[in-house]
Amino acid sequence: MENIFPSNEWLQSLIDFLNNDPDYARIAKKWEGDIAFSVKADGPLKEDMNIYLDLWHGACRGGKILEETEELDAAFVLEAPYGNLVKILSGKLDPMQAMMTRKLIVNGSMTYMMRNIPTVLDFVRCARSVTDKVLEE
Amino acid sequence: MQPILKVDLSTEEVSEYDIPYEWENDFIGGASLAARILYEYLTQELDPFSEESPLLFLNGPMSGTSGPTVSRFVVCGKSPATGLWAESNCGGFWGVELRKTGYDGIWVTGKAKSPKFLWINDGNLEIRSSEKFIGLDTYEIQEAIKEELNNPKVKVAGIGIAGENLIPSALILTDHGRVAGRTGLGAVMGSKNLKAIAVKGSKNIPVANEIEYKKLRSRANQELNKDNITKIVREMGTAASAEYFDYLGTMPKKYYRQGVMEGADNISGATISDTILTKFAPCHACVVACGRVVKISGADKEQKGPEYETLVGFGPNLLISDAEFVTRMGDLCDRFGMDTISVSNTLGLAFTLFELGHIAEKDTDGLQLNWGDKEVVEQLIPMIAKKIGFGAFLAEGALALGRRFGAEDEAVQVNGLELAYHDPRGVSGMALVYATSPRGGCHNQSDYFLAEIGKSEESLGIKNFDRQAGAEKAENVAIHQNYRTMANALVICFFGSINPELIVDLTNAACGLDLSIADYLEAGERAWNLKRAINNNLGLRRENDRLPKSLLEPLSDGGAAGYKIEFEEMLKAYYQARSWDWDTGIPSCEKLISLKLDFVTEDLYT
Repeated sequence: MENIFPSNEWLQSLIDFLNNDPDYARIAKKWEGDIAFSVKADGPLKEDMNIYLDLWHGACRGGKILEETEELDAAFVLEAPYGNLVKILSGKLDPMQAMMTRKLIVNGSMTYMMRNIPTVLDFVRCARSVTDKVLEE
Repeated sequence: MQPILKVDLSTEEVSEYDIPYEWENDFIGGASLAARILYEYLTQELDPFSEESPLLFLNGPMSGTSGPTVSRFVVCGKSPATGLWAESNCGGFWGVELRKTGYDGIWVTGKAKSPKFLWINDGNLEIRSSEKFIGLDTYEIQEAIKEELNNPKVKVAGIGIAGENLIPSALILTDHGRVAGRTGLGAVMGSKNLKAIAVKGSKNIPVANEIEYKKLRSRANQELNKDNITKIVREMGTAASAEYFDYLGTMPKKYYRQGVMEGADNISGATISDTILTKFAPCHACVVACGRVVKISGADKEQKGPEYETLVGFGPNLLISDAEFVTRMGDLCDRFGMDTISVSNTLGLAFTLFELGHIAEKDTDGLQLNWGDKEVVEQLIPMIAKKIGFGAFLAEGALALGRRFGAEDEAVQVNGLELAYHDPRGVSGMALVYATSPRGGCHNQSDYFLAEIGKSEESLGIKNFDRQAGAEKAENVAIHQNYRTMANALVICFFGSINPELIVDLTNAACGLDLSIADYLEAGERAWNLKRAINNNLGLRRENDRLPKSLLEPLSDGGAAGYKIEFEEMLKAYYQARSWDWDTGIPSCEKLISLKLDFVTEDLYT
């Protein structure tokens, strides 16, 4: 089965990966904070989509694709058009570059984020590992 | 732009200088325009401390307007630290107030017979005695002049004891600790017996297309408020990325000799925010607000918080991990009027030479220079400012200190200017930036270290390379230098993360021009080559484009471990990208003519 970003299968694969990857467990052992992706409609993604992940001490305690009616409430909200997230997940766009060039907007404590950049980068590594496919036009 | 006020302190003659219109078009403002204005005056024979030596304070065309991050002015001349082109820009409110007097610059020559300060009040100039202000620090002088003029709204740019003592790292300070810090222009001011310049104005600041400018300014500020870098810098100041730089191995430790240090994470913007930060201190009309105000234990009042360079310079560079101590040392240097990069770098060299046995206790007035010894650092800073004992050797700067003790190669400096704290072994493009900067080892002619970690700008044609790539990034570095040369011409702050198209639109609206991005970059390239030509006239050649020895050796630990900079190959590619002659280090005649710098060719090629 191929994990298409974004889909429930992709999300579950990511959760499983985060919970079984020793490097992530080590690097993110101090991380405390849930994150949400606010994926903006762009290209083949016709409607906005919000994805929630509960990350805690090097593991993922759960996650879901939010219903339209559910509130987007997380310590960190990462907002980007679908195409930019695809570029990050396919390795064509560096996550730090995306953040610094306005391709990915970060809402939340920047202090915490900057203190935990190795965790952020390793999270992206994990997400890249489980992404087999993306939506096509 | 408005006229420049010209003051000869020897004769007390005062006149107005109108900037030729075509120069404004070609060089826009700030440091670029200053380079054109001063070109003929900066000769190899000129002693920076002579009466003839010019000291030019100049605004940019957006300075003081309601635009984004446009509070800044620049000070230019010939550097006593390097003997080369000197420029150093400064935020706060002083430049804004100067524009409101009806002048966009002050050009000082001569030497006053006794200590003076200038008082410019809406177009009127008075040369007043500052005899009773001698010895005051850079904050005290501001208060003393405001009191004498009975006007708390006056803005004062002044020097401290270091400037009075002609120390090559002397700075000019204004407002809440905003400094024109590098290249020693505070000492040039001191050599003219000029303690301070006070300004107060009430005139409107000219903008060519005001309606369009306001529209663009609102857009720029809205974008800035949403921008990640703005949020990061507002929350944590300029040291926001310290932990990331540490992770990448670009934050120097133990005078660039060590890649890892326990406790380095105590020295970061995040730590400052979590512990001692009390409020932000923005410059004029700035939504970024990088300035920090902090309260440290034992202090009776709030004070300026340190920015990145000061934190690293008096922190990991000296193997110190105490943010409160670093804050105090930064404040001490500011008050004496000394550049924190140059002073902390020179101290790092002294500690290194002591460890290597080039310096012994007999040279240091009995002091043991052991890494991490905070007491010794605190003892040495006043000795430097006052040129006491071993402090007098340190006051001469890293290059002179290295030479004095037969270890010039150990000094981490380029052309006499001590390097800033962005190790090129972690971000290799900085090797070219440091080596070719027109003012010596400096990070403010191009903050390419940010491009290396992702802050590239596609519209400028800047490509992405691995942060430790080699010669292939040379052209990128040149483009980035051109781009940042324009920021220094507009005198806008590097921390304003505004997209380049919008900056060009703002420039056009402010100046009544119709520049494209390509024109904008070309104007940057023109000024970069003009500053190069000034330095060529002052004797600079290819062999001056170098890196300090210790940076050419790989680090053994940390995020940049094992990487060796292939400097010569990078420099060759850079010369090719710039059309500079490999044998002489001089821009090619064709390049100069294509950039409308024909007048320069007469000096360089005849």
